[in-house]
Amino acid sequence: MNERSQQDEITVECTVPDAPEKVWRALTVPELLAAWLLPNDIRPEEGARFSLDGAPGEGGSVECEVLEIEPQRLIRYSWRDKGTARDGLETVVSFRVLPTADGGTRLRIVHQARVLVEKAVGQRLMACNSNVTPTMKMAA
Amino acid sequence: MDTERIFRALADPTRRAVFERLAAGEMSVGDLKAGFDVSQPAVSQHLAALRKAGLVSERREGRNVFYRITPEGLAPLANWMQRYRDFWPERVERLKTVLKEMEQ
Repeated sequence: MNERSQQDEITVECTVPDAPEKVWRALTVPELLAAWLLPNDIRPEEGARFSLDGAPGEGGSVECEVLEIEPQRLIRYSWRDKGTARDGLETVVSFRVLPTADGGTRLRIVHQARVLVEKAVGQRLMACNSNVTPTMKMAA
Repeated sequence: MDTERIFRALADPTRRAVFERLAAGEMSVGDLKAGFDVSQPAVSQHLAALRKAGLVSERREGRNVFYRITPEGLAPLANWMQRYRDFWPERVERLKTVLKEMEQ
């Protein structure tokens, strides 16, 4: 219950007739990824930092870092844009590629967001612009 | 806004859960209670504390009362959800088109 309250996720799944290797390329080759997601300089290596250009609703870039990669199967990266930084959120996107029995691919995209509560409360306090006592500062 | 009250209001995990749930939009106590393992009086109590802290406001409509986060209340998850809820399905549609155009 607590876990649910502090995070949320968006899941999108689709099945395509294309082979997993082909879908994998669409996820990890910059030009192909740009054709459907956003312009980017992705590098499919663990720890690689890259950016996507044009965060929805905010514009600007999305800063990413590859957190986990299993070639042809899974890529998971952090996703940080102006909005998530401002709202004190940590978000991560994962793309899971699964072969189907008939040679196609099941793709599962999960975008998870987690509230970094301390930070959110800290910002709220600043926004309130009230007298913050030393104790409260420590708590923040 | 009273900072001490805000701290107290959000220190309790259930109360914070109630607050964050409201980030999705206006809800009645009944809506809020659904999916929570908490009694309705308990939810009402949390709502009262959140209202006292100025994080939540109520609106009466006949016999029903609806709660929502005040503009002062942060709604980070809701902001994010609003931006990405339609983004991903729309991009997946584009991906399907791209796959069709790609060579094997």
